[in-house]
Amino acid sequence: MSQDFVTLVSKDDKEYEISRSAAMISPTLKAMIEGPFRESKGRIELKQFDSHILEKAVEYLNYNLKYSGVSEDDDEIPEFEIPTEMSLELLLAADYLSI
Amino acid sequence: MYRSRNRPKRGGENEVKGPNSALTQFLREEGISAENIKQKWYQRQSKKQEDATDEKKGKAEDDSFTAEISRVVEDEEIDEIGTGSGTETERAQVSYDARMKLVPADSDEEEYETSHISDTPVSLSSANDRESLTKKRQNTAKIIQNRRRKRKRAADLLDRRVNKVSSLQSLCITKISENISKWQKEADESSKLVFNKLRDVLGGVSTANLNNLAKALSKNRALNDHTLQLFLKTDLKRLTFSDCSKISFDGYKTLAIFSPHLTELSLQMCGQLNHESLLYIAEKLPNLKSLNLDGPFLINEDTWEKFFVIMKGRLEEFHISNTHRFTDKSLSNLLINCGSTLVSLGLSRLDSISNYALLPQYLVNDEFHSLCIEYPFNEEDVNDEIIINLLGQIGRTLRKLVLNGCIDLTDSMIINGLTAFIPEKCPLEVLSLEESDQITTDSLSYFFSKVELNNLIECSFRRCLQLGDMAIIELLLNGARDSLRSLNLNSLKELTKEAFVALACPNLTYLDLGFVRCVDDSVIQMLGEQNPNLTVIDVFGDNLVTEKATMRPGLTLIGRQSDSI
Repeated sequence: MSQDFVTLVSKDDKEYEISRSAAMISPTLKAMIEGPFRESKGRIELKQFDSHILEKAVEYLNYNLKYSGVSEDDDEIPEFEIPTEMSLELLLAADYLSI
Repeated sequence: MYRSRNRPKRGGENEVKGPNSALTQFLREEGISAENIKQKWYQRQSKKQEDATDEKKGKAEDDSFTAEISRVVEDEEIDEIGTGSGTETERAQVSYDARMKLVPADSDEEEYETSHISDTPVSLSSANDRESLTKKRQNTAKIIQNRRRKRKRAADLLDRRVNKVSSLQSLCITKISENISKWQKEADESSKLVFNKLRDVLGGVSTANLNNLAKALSKNRALNDHTLQLFLKTDLKRLTFSDCSKISFDGYKTLAIFSPHLTELSLQMCGQLNHESLLYIAEKLPNLKSLNLDGPFLINEDTWEKFFVIMKGRLEEFHISNTHRFTDKSLSNLLINCGSTLVSLGLSRLDSISNYALLPQYLVNDEFHSLCIEYPFNEEDVNDEIIINLLGQIGRTLRKLVLNGCIDLTDSMIINGLTAFIPEKCPLEVLSLEESDQITTDSLSYFFSKVELNNLIECSFRRCLQLGDMAIIELLLNGARDSLRSLNLNSLKELTKEAFVALACPNLTYLDLGFVRCVDDSVIQMLGEQNPNLTVIDVFGDNLVTEKATMRPGLTLIGRQSDSI
């Protein structure tokens, strides 16, 4: 399996593939990737989150990776949209992942 | 030529009649000496090797004085202009002086020359001023720009913001706050209905997750009267708010009304909790039995008395910290009204409490399990005798003992209190004796050898400066070795590596080794290998821990000097 990607698994067993560098943005995921769970071969189970929540978190990680390197003089960072009905659960996921 | 042409004319015209001229008077007042001027003039003449015999001598003193002044000034002018030395300011000054001193002269020719001389410095000065003004403007713009950048960088650093992209947490909180505000504007429904709909619109959160939500909001400093509405839920029983600084006294009343089944409530930094809202909490929460308050400094003695009367017979856990208005009388009221039901008591940083001796008389519940006495205002108010008496009362059932900052305690408390009254098969889960600098290795070694601490989860000996290796080794020979999850050995300067050879705890996750001088790279490596679940070691002030320390994957060092921000 490719070492450049990790797979995140949600409560209902849906899988989301994300680049290793995007996953590293989360200190929690970084610890899991580098930690004793290394033998899991790039598969991380996050069973406490629904699939739509995890999907949105993955989307944010990619967004963060894309725009965090932009020069600080550049003001052209687009806004990351969050559906209202998702905000409470997404906050809990964001808190857990420290993102 | 210039000089020879002008000298005779000026000499003649400058004759002054009368006792003293204004100029003479001025020069006297300024302390300018004719003799000095004469000497300078002579030096100048000798340098130029001019014939001294050209001098017109024999004139009256006043006339001679004035004539010499004029010549000296004239010479200076020529020098300045000819050599180009001196600054624009000096040139301007000379011109000004020259004009003033030449006023007696009536020659049209002289006036023209003076005007011409004075124009040049002014013109040059003006041109230079224009250039420097432009440069100054450019510099100012740069300075302002740099200042803005520095300010932004400092703000980012203080907020620990690594980059410009907002965190997902702050984005979620912004969305949540916006919707709460929107809902409040559309307040045409009953308030209870609003709360339920509010949570549904925002996606809903299970009751079990509400405390996680509270923690997340507090962490982001977003817990306030608006976001408080997320927690108004009839089936909520336990609630912890870590940062209540933005919750108003009305917020607490709202909470008491709409979450009526709360049994455990913890309000940290509740500086706005006032007497009205505290009594409201007591009256509207009939099932409340556990209350933890940090910083309720608006509550006075009378209100505490009323509160404890209302809570009589049902208050089981009470922890309070950081207020000077909880007095001995308040403590007495607490113990008289609620002492028989209390199973957990915490008193921390209460500047007005001195009568800790009351405690053994009233803490009589057979199931008492937690005692925290921290940082008494006068250390001697918490002494060996009081703690020994207390442990005689509650030692059998104690699961948590925290005596931080009780620096009057000595080995006697360990031997005659802990060892004497804690049962051999000890239920103790938390033991913290921070800053007990009179407690020695011998007494603790004795305690650990007599009592099996099979349930000990958390242990702290921070700043117990006299503790050496044998105390730690004895602890680890104890049953505690298998149960410990958190161990604090901060500032135990007497420890050597020998203590850490024995440190092999299968369940340990956190270790604080700050300011322990013997800790180095090899110790870190050994600890990582011997403690498989260890995830964090604090190493602040451990100068021997370097970037070369080899760490097992999953282990994080915090406070290493070589790590960058």
